[in-house]
Amino acid sequence: MGILSKIFILLFFYNFIEARPISYSGGHTLMHFNDSMKESIYYHFSPTYKYSIGLETLNNKEFGKHESNIRFTYLINRQNTKNSQRNLYFQSAVSANDNNYIYGIHGDWETRRYFVGFDYKEVKNIIDYSDKYVQIGMAPYLGEYDDLHTWLMIKTKKNSINNKQITYPVIKFFKGSALLELGYHKKTDWDVHLMYRF
Amino acid sequence: MIRLLFLFFSINFIYSDKDNDIHHLSHNHEIYVQGEKLEVDQKRFKSFLDGLSDSQVAIVNVNGMVCDFCARGIEKTFVRDGAVKKVDVDLERGKVLIAYSKEKEIDFEEIKSKILANGQNAIDFTILNI
Repeated sequence: MGILSKIFILLFFYNFIEARPISYSGGHTLMHFNDSMKESIYYHFSPTYKYSIGLETLNNKEFGKHESNIRFTYLINRQNTKNSQRNLYFQSAVSANDNNYIYGIHGDWETRRYFVGFDYKEVKNIIDYSDKYVQIGMAPYLGEYDDLHTWLMIKTKKNSINNKQITYPVIKFFKGSALLELGYHKKTDWDVHLMYRF
Repeated sequence: MIRLLFLFFSINFIYSDKDNDIHHLSHNHEIYVQGEKLEVDQKRFKSFLDGLSDSQVAIVNVNGMVCDFCARGIEKTFVRDGAVKKVDVDLERGKVLIAYSKEKEIDFEEIKSKILANGQNAIDFTILNI
């Protein structure tokens, strides 16, 4: 497998951890992500609902490399209506190990039944590239507070390294303060993302 | 049977404040405050009031409360207040129910501020005396 393919696959699931980038005021969030290529732990704290700061430590299994990022996310705009919420975020990360960095925007709109989100990033790394995705989802049933909530989603993604578009299914489960997200692609097998807020 | 239970339940309300009197129409199971229908889930509301006495319940209409995961902070924020006995979130109707002790002077600005700290907007509210 060539290095570009490895980087591509590594980046392929990078955006998994972008869900809910800011918590409520004073909220802490701990995330764990694991797949065949990497394992990461990301903790962030939200002093207010407008921004979060966090630290991500990443074990690149394929290259045997450890990386750490300091991350900052800012809520640029939010519109709440009775049945929907729309968000636009600025997101960024600075490597603690070198001069690499990431910046971009993330947006979403959701109701209790439907979800639409997008993400665009510019990444300065070994290879500079841009990365973008669109995600749509639907809740097969409308759960009440404290119920188990389920989302069925489709994500389509493309980056400037190889300009190939890839589409894959995602399923999300929410229960209380915990989230489990699973994705599958034939090239990368199962991916697991866990999140807990406290 | 459910109607009888609800009728029985409704007589436990204390009509202590003329501005917040609750009128129950047994034929259609709706609750009215000053002639205005409270759009609450009867079963959920009954369950919420179960065991409460000498309390005030703030029923808050909230915009942007579209998912359980996003509403978690609301409950966590309100339960830190010692005067709060119970909190419930009704996602379907976009309402938050907060049971306060009788002594608490409920301030809508304070409620709005706490809801906003979670990223949602409180639009209006009604207080019921239990």
